[in-house]
Amino acid sequence: MIALIGLVIGVVLGLLFEPTVPLWLQPYLPIAIVAALDAMFGGVRARLEGIFDEKVFVVSFVSNTIIAALIVFLGDQLGVGSQLSTGVVVVLGIRIFSNAAAIRRKLFGA
Amino acid sequence: MSLLSDLFAGKVLDPGYAEAAARRAAAGEEAPRRGRFRHGGVLLVLALVGLLAAVAVAEVRRSEPLAQEQRSRLIGEIRTRTAESDALQRRLDRLRAETERQRVAALARSQAGREARQDLAAASAAAAAAPASGPGLVLTLADAEPKDGPRRRADDGRVYDQDLQVLVNGLWAAGATAIGINGLRLTPTTAIRTAGEAILVDYRPLTGPYEVTALGDRDRVAEVLRGSAAGRRMRDLKERYGIRYDVRGTRSARLPAAGALQLRHARPQGEGTRRP
Repeated sequence: MIALIGLVIGVVLGLLFEPTVPLWLQPYLPIAIVAALDAMFGGVRARLEGIFDEKVFVVSFVSNTIIAALIVFLGDQLGVGSQLSTGVVVVLGIRIFSNAAAIRRKLFGA
Repeated sequence: MSLLSDLFAGKVLDPGYAEAAARRAAAGEEAPRRGRFRHGGVLLVLALVGLLAAVAVAEVRRSEPLAQEQRSRLIGEIRTRTAESDALQRRLDRLRAETERQRVAALARSQAGREARQDLAAASAAAAAAPASGPGLVLTLADAEPKDGPRRRADDGRVYDQDLQVLVNGLWAAGATAIGINGLRLTPTTAIRTAGEAILVDYRPLTGPYEVTALGDRDRVAEVLRGSAAGRRMRDLKERYGIRYDVRGTRSARLPAAGALQLRHARPQGEGTRRP
């Protein structure tokens, strides 16, 4: 419940204030979101398995987003930014899907 | 391929939670700690996720109309510049007519002047420096109607720059005295080429159907063209690709003077032999 409230608060804040993202930060925003989604699905799955730990959740979110952005930043400096961000999206996508599959098994038993 | 086997075994999941649970079990705590502050962490993180997502969506929405706006601004600029160059062309025509009038008046005074005027008239007709009119042929080339079918390619049945080049060269060879495409007069050195999907004549983009006007002896030009390689190629295009190719005679056609004329050998008096 508290998670849903947090999500809604964030979306409302973002839509209300429409903060302008500085240009140098824009390439990292989508990657950061994908990383955040990964942390979120991991948290939901742990919650359903009864082993949710808020410290693990917060730390995994922060480190996921920062590392994903760092990898893309490094790739940009090396000239392979788009390839590396594809790689990050693929890896995080696999994790999101398998987390979602675990959630589905817990919820529907299928 | 340990990544793939891990994936199929379902082991790529973050083991962090399981490890934390195992640590707690080893330390004798049974339930995860649930302090007030820790709830705040979840709330904060999820608010941040929502904020990020909303900002990203807003960014994407904002950049879409921007691209559209830039595109329409570019199109507008192209139109303005084309209109400007049309106006300049009209002014050039007016000034040329004025020069021609004064030249005739100046040269009519002496015998040598009259001879020079005849030479000049022949040269300017050949260089497309003066407007021309008279009987001629109008040849129309148009892209084929798009056909549906499994083997159809996007550029099947399109008129290419080479087709126009071959046709124009065939017309010169057949004895045409002046040629224009869609009202643009061709000089003997005018370029006909492709840029992207547009055909550029004298570096101005044209769109089909292409109307090639050739002045000269109608019947003779038509007959010579029919028997030439250019005529055969046009008939081939028509039969094989369905490109529209019509030839009709006209009793009087008018062609303007060509746009920019480059002087290659003549120089203004006083400059001597100095190269520009």
